[in-house]
Amino acid sequence: MLLPAKLPPEKLYRICNPEEFGFTTTAEFDGTVKTTGQQRALDAITFSMGIRHDGFNLFALGPNGTGKQTAVTSFLNGIAPGSSVPSDWCYVNNFEKPRHPKALKLPAGKALQFSRDVEHLVEALFTVIPAAFSSEEYQAQEKNIREKFQEQQGEAIGDLEQKAAEKNIALIRTPAGFAFAPVKKGEVLKSEEFMLLSKEEQDSIEREIENLKTALQSIMGQIPKWQRETQDRIKELNRNIASYALKPLIAEIISNYQSLEEVVEYLKTLENDLIENFDQFIEKEPDAREYFLGLPQGRLSLKSPSFNRYRVNVVVDNSKTVGAPVIYEDKPACQNLIGDIEHTSQMGTLVTDFTLIKSGSLHRANGGYLLIDARRLLFEPFAYEALKKALRMRQIRIESLGQLYSLISTVSLEPEPIPLDIKVILLGERSLYYLLNFHDPDFAELFKVAADFENEIQADKEGRFAYAGIIASMVRKDGLRHFSKSAVARVVEHGSRLAQDATKLTAHLQSIYDLVHEAEYYAASAKRDIVEAEDIQRAIDAKMFRSSRIREKIREETLKNVILIDTDSEITGQINGLAVYSMGEQSFGQPEKITARVRLGKGEVIDIEREVEMGGPIHSKGVMILSGFLGARFAVDQPLSLSASLVFEQSYSGVEGDSASSAELYVLLSALSGAPIKQCFAVTGSVNQHGQVQAIGGVNEKIEGFFDLCKSRGLNGKHGVLIPASNIDHLMLRHDVVDAVKNDQFSIYPIKHVDEGIEILTGIPAGEPDEKGQYPENTINGMAVARLSEMAEKLRKFNADSEDEEE
Amino acid sequence: MPEQFKNILIRHIAVALDCSPHSMASLSAAAELARLMDADLTGIFVEDINLLRMAELPFTHEIRLYTPEPEKIDLSRLERSLKLQAREAEEALERIAGQFMIRHSFRVCRGMVPAEVTSASLEADLLVLGRSGRSPSCRKGLGSTARWALSESAKHILFMQSGFRPEQESVLVLYDGSEASKTALGIAENLVRKGNTLHILLLPQAEGDEKLLETEVSGLVPSELLRVEFHFLPPDVTDSKILARYIRMAGSGLLVLSDHMNIPAETVHTLVCEIDYPVLLVRR
Repeated sequence: MLLPAKLPPEKLYRICNPEEFGFTTTAEFDGTVKTTGQQRALDAITFSMGIRHDGFNLFALGPNGTGKQTAVTSFLNGIAPGSSVPSDWCYVNNFEKPRHPKALKLPAGKALQFSRDVEHLVEALFTVIPAAFSSEEYQAQEKNIREKFQEQQGEAIGDLEQKAAEKNIALIRTPAGFAFAPVKKGEVLKSEEFMLLSKEEQDSIEREIENLKTALQSIMGQIPKWQRETQDRIKELNRNIASYALKPLIAEIISNYQSLEEVVEYLKTLENDLIENFDQFIEKEPDAREYFLGLPQGRLSLKSPSFNRYRVNVVVDNSKTVGAPVIYEDKPACQNLIGDIEHTSQMGTLVTDFTLIKSGSLHRANGGYLLIDARRLLFEPFAYEALKKALRMRQIRIESLGQLYSLISTVSLEPEPIPLDIKVILLGERSLYYLLNFHDPDFAELFKVAADFENEIQADKEGRFAYAGIIASMVRKDGLRHFSKSAVARVVEHGSRLAQDATKLTAHLQSIYDLVHEAEYYAASAKRDIVEAEDIQRAIDAKMFRSSRIREKIREETLKNVILIDTDSEITGQINGLAVYSMGEQSFGQPEKITARVRLGKGEVIDIEREVEMGGPIHSKGVMILSGFLGARFAVDQPLSLSASLVFEQSYSGVEGDSASSAELYVLLSALSGAPIKQCFAVTGSVNQHGQVQAIGGVNEKIEGFFDLCKSRGLNGKHGVLIPASNIDHLMLRHDVVDAVKNDQFSIYPIKHVDEGIEILTGIPAGEPDEKGQYPENTINGMAVARLSEMAEKLRKFNADSEDEEE
Repeated sequence: MPEQFKNILIRHIAVALDCSPHSMASLSAAAELARLMDADLTGIFVEDINLLRMAELPFTHEIRLYTPEPEKIDLSRLERSLKLQAREAEEALERIAGQFMIRHSFRVCRGMVPAEVTSASLEADLLVLGRSGRSPSCRKGLGSTARWALSESAKHILFMQSGFRPEQESVLVLYDGSEASKTALGIAENLVRKGNTLHILLLPQAEGDEKLLETEVSGLVPSELLRVEFHFLPPDVTDSKILARYIRMAGSGLLVLSDHMNIPAETVHTLVCEIDYPVLLVRR
């Protein structure tokens, strides 16, 4: 078998040549950013924003920091200014049903003017109404009406009084009413005088008084009616006077809003209410009770709470909006989305009115676009449901949460809903999108379009230039030092490293943003005007150093042989596997000793990690796959008469992943064949049942982890790592590793099949079967078959002895 | 005390109280004048003997506005009501006297109201009473007590009506050059508050006297301290209706005049009865 050659240095790191950039520094860019490598997502955005049907809202999915918001905002900023500016909205009092404030729609920029117009109107009434009601004309008319009543009453009683007087009877006012009594020379007859009168005279007086009483009672019956009529006449007069004073003012406003039917209708109801309640514009004597109750005193003014009913609460003002609004809701709480009805405390009671209606971001973005972070939305109680309801109903209905869930019990409002025409863009991770899709049937109906953002972009020329543009825009936006082309090239290379793929660049722009800022800091510290490649390297190294405490601790323990990792000798049934530890943003590789022992048994491979429940399912799957490989290779003609145990030595936490399955297979082959494995190698790669080695993740970290340990002990030219051949494109190794390879101090072998790997590891060929299916003797497979036969024989003999003993 | 009042000694003011709106207005005005003139104030409440007699009659019933059937008048209840009214009047007097910080007294007497008010005010220099009291017909013009006082009393009388506040109103005085009108002018001048106008209605005796009267008044009134407006009547007017028309045209609040001027006393009395203004009638 032809063994794979060591990888040459140029395969280990893909250099970005600064000379291919046509600029010297990023100062030559204008700072605009073009989204690159996200064509799928951009198409989805274009489609979603273009289609006007319901439910075609957008979910932009992808890892955080991949520039989803930037891409969407940039797209919207391109199309929004060309769209028409949406209408203004305001809430006004519903004079018939004050609990249901009316929503008024006005052309963009008109709501504030309308609010001011109404305010001026009401302000003017403080002068106009008192003037009208203190006019001589009004006073005279009112006096006339009252006097008419007095006269009517006076005449009726006066006539009766006159009639009575003719019969020497006087009508006398008592403390509570009236009474008739006989008089003589203006004085009421004393009872003795009356008794001295003849019986006829007494009877006559009594009769007369009885008649007069009846007549007076009849008059009394009329008085309340006359009072009512008088009041009605005064009311009518008041209405006429108020209406006359108000009409020109209202007519002036109506003429300004003639084309707006609803506004005109509101102004008419306002006019009626002002006429009915004209007296509130007339200064009254201060009421002592109001003072003691703590109610506002002083001169009448528009600021008094009693005039709130005439205010216009502008909830959406688009006077300064250009095109369609693009709103990002940073805190998508329910009340921030759909608005809220606030309350104020008045004498210990919570009260509210339509002026306390607050708009939400749905109001502000109505007619345009609203961007919301999906995770934050889901974290806010009731917010997601409220958003869905608004989108489903196509209207914004403001409901107080406290009221809805009976948390507060006080009078609240039910404002008229406002029609909703909006595109909502949710930004979130893929897992959220899939979770919502799976668990919420409404979601798929309301967010029909998914813009799936790539994790990486191609590291082709376009991608590299896009990186340069992104760096330039960051520099310009944040006022940083400009980057030289070599610095940009180094960032591009690091982008590939972050993408774990030499042919890709990471789309996680947050990482690039952090690197750019840190490098700029080092350039500033070094008093350089331009950020150079060495600043980038320093930033990368510094970041790695900052997070290296645990890695260094583990290495220290390894060097002290507390953790036993052999990198020199040759040992049977022992191999160096490679594991990756992830700590927050940082991950690093570390060699792990894997050992295998075989004994007589029933052909099972015992994964100790699994037995003690420290191995994850993927790891267990890997072990079973390699058992399958062993069975197929060695137990076709006879059963496997062994039991093998596998373990990650000194592993005290769980093991997951199948990247060690090739190492586990090698160590089993070593234990089976008795061929020692060179400990100067470390191995990574998963294996299938045919023995093919498959790609794994974190290849760079794994190689660097083993390299760092060997380097600490001293490189001798024999050290190396076996990696899957399919991982070659993922290599973006550190410069010191590349240099060591260049100097033949370290080797990296790309392996396609375990037979290649076992030969490199043991120096003994794997061995291929002849026509009879027999493996040559001095090969790993041959040695393994021989050992298995020997074990099978022992087992047979042992079983026969046991049976004899039993007999 | 203002200089002009030194010759017009009003040391004691009597005010008739019957708890009607007019009498309450009278009380305020009387208190205001008492403070101005440093005079004592006496409130007079008369228990109407007619009422008490009526209650003793076997057949009299009280008819009320909001009670369907007439009720027999009970003497003890009536007496209690009168006492209650008297107490109410006294409390009102005390309250307002406290406000104005004036010396005051209260007197309750029983008898025919007009006669009792007039006789109780004999010790006073000025009698203040409502234009109409608790008269059943709410008629215009003067009530029975006011009419009695007008004809029988020799004191200065202020006929008040509700809705009038002396400190807020202008004052109109009738001036014809007589001594009585000079006294009226002196009092009127002192009743005008800052910012209000003193209207002077000149009644010339003959053609061409207007200027003479105006010059004469200008010498008497410190016009630099007061806002004064002159109004002129045609010479020798003796018709109360013409006088009333001119007074209304001036549109002032309180009317000050005397029934000892050159125009006949009957004309003045008729005017006082008919005019719908509070009137201060100045006696010699």
